[in-house]
Amino acid sequence: MPYYIGDVIKDEAKLTARTPAKFRESGIEVIINTKVEQVDPVGQVVRLDSGASLPYDLLALGTGTVPRMPGIPGEDMEGVFILKRLSDALRIKAYLKETACRKAIIIGAGFIAMEVCEAFVTRGIATEIIHRGKLPVNRWDPELGLMIFDELKKHDVAFTADAKPQSIERGSTYRLRLNTNHGPTEGDTILIAVGVKPDTTLAEAMGLAIGKSGAIAVNFSQQTSVENIYAAGDCCESFHRISKRWGNIPLGDIANKQGRVAGSNIGGKPKIFPGVVGAQSFRIFSLEAAATGLTESEARVYGFHPVGLITWGNASANAMPDAKKIGLKLIADAATARLIGAQAVGEAGVVSRINTLSAAMWSGLGIEEIGYIDLAYAPPFGGSWDIIHNAAQALLRKL
Amino acid sequence: MGKALVIVGAGAAGGSVAAEAKRSDPGLSVTMIEQGPHVATAA
Repeated sequence: MPYYIGDVIKDEAKLTARTPAKFRESGIEVIINTKVEQVDPVGQVVRLDSGASLPYDLLALGTGTVPRMPGIPGEDMEGVFILKRLSDALRIKAYLKETACRKAIIIGAGFIAMEVCEAFVTRGIATEIIHRGKLPVNRWDPELGLMIFDELKKHDVAFTADAKPQSIERGSTYRLRLNTNHGPTEGDTILIAVGVKPDTTLAEAMGLAIGKSGAIAVNFSQQTSVENIYAAGDCCESFHRISKRWGNIPLGDIANKQGRVAGSNIGGKPKIFPGVVGAQSFRIFSLEAAATGLTESEARVYGFHPVGLITWGNASANAMPDAKKIGLKLIADAATARLIGAQAVGEAGVVSRINTLSAAMWSGLGIEEIGYIDLAYAPPFGGSWDIIHNAAQALLRKL
Repeated sequence: MGKALVIVGAGAAGGSVAAEAKRSDPGLSVTMIEQGPHVATAA
């Protein structure tokens, strides 16, 4: 959706994977603009806000997330947006067009904030980020977060750190004013992007078990605590193969996979969801950022013995002109010498390398073997010793 | 008469449940309920 807002994707129809008409063609009934008010898990009936009741033999919950809000006065003013659904994206894009927006404020600095920031800047809108922390995207360690911070500065994005939004009111120079602990700042539009939480309202009302993460608890077949009720996607938990714990990771690829697993089991074809390793990525201007596995602080909490090391390198052969800077941090567990986390930021080849390392972690590979793993290379993409090899060997020496 | 599956939400998860359930058991009656106007959208 940020790419639609930035007009990189021009046609909103491209954001719909399958229309209601196409679903109906496959024999799937679709009821839109209708809320499920209540589910009776004993009587096995779903009650809609239209007044209708639907009996079921099997139920699947894909209720997603709800956006977190700062809870400040004025957050419901015109020109203040969240970006959760396609209707939000359509409204934002229309607003930018109709009001000749000159400046935007984004509250938040996670990957959604980054993507929307790029969208605004691409449209020629001066952009300011208001963040509670010191550096953007705190999932990435400070050395890498600093690369992101510098990239924002290079594109004239103002970054206000250690900031707490206090209220929103009408502005004088621009349409809106955001008051913070650092004083006021103005913009024609404000985007709130401070995170999401799983939508478990129905699940809780039904008495389904909720996991420690606050998301609906499920087993490997995506079943909830009630045998004929399944859950999939952002609203439920996922099993993390590295931490061996259940957590909530709201990402679309996980939603697709869990949905397919649930659907397969519902349809009588046995399937399990094999878990996640926490792979995630985003682009910000000329940089790619990606991460997988655990951070050192997470690893310590779970009782691992993390040892991390950042290696700087070139995502093209050194002999080639125009070096492509890349910083790769690997985290291993000292007890087993296994890779338990990786994160990278760079000008090229970041996502592909983190995906390689995701597969390595998925399979429980050790740092020693990763240092010698067989990878494709050619001068435009890297040296014959890849940064993955160099980083793994350097980390092994540190262990 | 096949079993009835009701799906709450027609996002990535709901849409995937619907498609795979129907594919795995064509005799299933599948109904997806979405609170908003759009279904199966990319984020």
